[in-house]
Amino acid sequence: MLWFERQVVGTLMAPGLDAGSRSVVEHYVSTTLHSMPEHLRAGVAAESIVLGATSWLEHRRGRLDATRLGTRVARWKASKIDPIRQYVRLLESLVIFAENELVPEPG
Amino acid sequence: MKAPTETVDTDVVIIGSGAGGAVTAATLARAGRSVTVLEEGPWVDPDEHEPFSLAEMVAKYRHGGSCAALGRPAIAYAEGRCVGGSTEINSGLYHRLPEDLAAEWEREYQIEEFGPAALARYADRIEQELGVSRLPGAPPASSAVLERGATKLGWRSVEFERVFRYEPDGRAVKQTMARTMLPSAVDAGARVIADCRVAKLVRRGSRIVGVACEQTLPDGALRILLVRAGQVFVCAGATQTPALLQRSGIRHNVGGGLKMHPTVKIAARFDTPIDHGDVPMHRVTEFAPGLTIGGSASRRGHVALALADSDADYADALAHWENVAVYYAAIRSEGSGRVLALPGFRSPLVTYQLTEGDMSRLARALVHLGEVMLAAGATELYPSVTGGVVARGPDDLVQWWDALTRNRANLMTVHLTSTVRIGENRDRTGADSFGRVWGYDNLRVNDASLLPEAPGVNPQGPIMAVVARNSDQFLADT
Repeated sequence: MLWFERQVVGTLMAPGLDAGSRSVVEHYVSTTLHSMPEHLRAGVAAESIVLGATSWLEHRRGRLDATRLGTRVARWKASKIDPIRQYVRLLESLVIFAENELVPEPG
Repeated sequence: MKAPTETVDTDVVIIGSGAGGAVTAATLARAGRSVTVLEEGPWVDPDEHEPFSLAEMVAKYRHGGSCAALGRPAIAYAEGRCVGGSTEINSGLYHRLPEDLAAEWEREYQIEEFGPAALARYADRIEQELGVSRLPGAPPASSAVLERGATKLGWRSVEFERVFRYEPDGRAVKQTMARTMLPSAVDAGARVIADCRVAKLVRRGSRIVGVACEQTLPDGALRILLVRAGQVFVCAGATQTPALLQRSGIRHNVGGGLKMHPTVKIAARFDTPIDHGDVPMHRVTEFAPGLTIGGSASRRGHVALALADSDADYADALAHWENVAVYYAAIRSEGSGRVLALPGFRSPLVTYQLTEGDMSRLARALVHLGEVMLAAGATELYPSVTGGVVARGPDDLVQWWDALTRNRANLMTVHLTSTVRIGENRDRTGADSFGRVWGYDNLRVNDASLLPEAPGVNPQGPIMAVVARNSDQFLADT
């Protein structure tokens, strides 16, 4: 999983998840991305590089703000540009599925 | 260093072990042919994983379930990659090919001996062997919902038969290929080689003289195999079969014309708990075969995914996920797609273009699905449309007509067909009436790829009947 994909996945996870559960979810997303058809994986990776450029620069300057990234991801999720919307939808689907299949229900 | 090539000799090699490959293998092995089945995926005990669980997806689904046909919109799809193929992961619902479709395809594609009567005796045989049956008792709540909703609206619904046998203690056992046809083939002398990916067919003139493949051994090492066979059946499914043929330089009417049943979903919330252990057996058939309404796997993960598709706040519904189940509406699409093997890539590119008519049908399907669920007593409906309003009454459904656009629809499918059509019209088909690939003496396709169109019903039954028919013809011819 690329650096920016890890940031987006972290943003998409439920806020109350403990560190162990976050690690389980992240591992599942990483494994699934790895097992995707190569051309789809390449497309997702390319989007990660393009969409993550700003965040990467902010990170290098020590200014990466999780709230601002969350706002960006929310905006992309509603984007009218298909590949951008699908990018967030893919990662969010993997996160949601893992949170609800791999993480025990609260209580 | 490249591993040395080992050679295996067999009368017949069958590539793929799903509904197509397994039926072919059982039929030929029982007739005394020397048969070797090559399966790309692993041999997984059918009881090892909970049905539709994430563990099952990882073990048995191609790409862990993350496949998509590209287009506007992209359409997610799932297919099996294990011994037994997609029969190991599907719902086991069984349906014969509708008679009017068989007659239409026979006429339109000039398929010999394909009429309803010709196919019926093969369907009889399959049903007898596998044990096709209805639920012995009352349907579970998730299935009864569909019947109740349809009845209130005055619509037809049917409890579909399933490829299941019931144990004396009531346990339902899905009759997958790993449980039925493949053991039968092995008992008759067939050999099944799992974890074995076929790279290409080796051609010499109009004959296939071998199959080049690599088997992944338990320790991770690769074993390079050349399987030499007198006859070759490619039964790898509607995406992998055309991809293999293309990789081998066989392209005439191969890979184009992909068909599927595009599907919209909703998560329906009720006041009382719904069972989640099985897939509903009932289908609303009022608009069939153009539009069919049914129920999906509804584990907690599936429910969460379906709720999230609408982009509405779903926290409360998820907190009460036991009261939520996932339902779908699938259409027969007039659009089509393509499978294309990409040089240097292991996975083919799959594309699908929905027509404007398809988009209208999907919107209508979504509204009808909502009507059934509300009639059945659902209190909240979350559509698989980004930004789609959560419907709590019939008035809300009106907004769904315009909500389902190419930019907002979240679609999926599990039925892919028609990438190497059969028939005597060479301009439109990739293989003759019995699956022999045009231009090759000893190469046949025998799987979902052969169906000229998507059948509008679960295709496992039609695939098995056509495959059994072709296998009998092969035995008669050779």
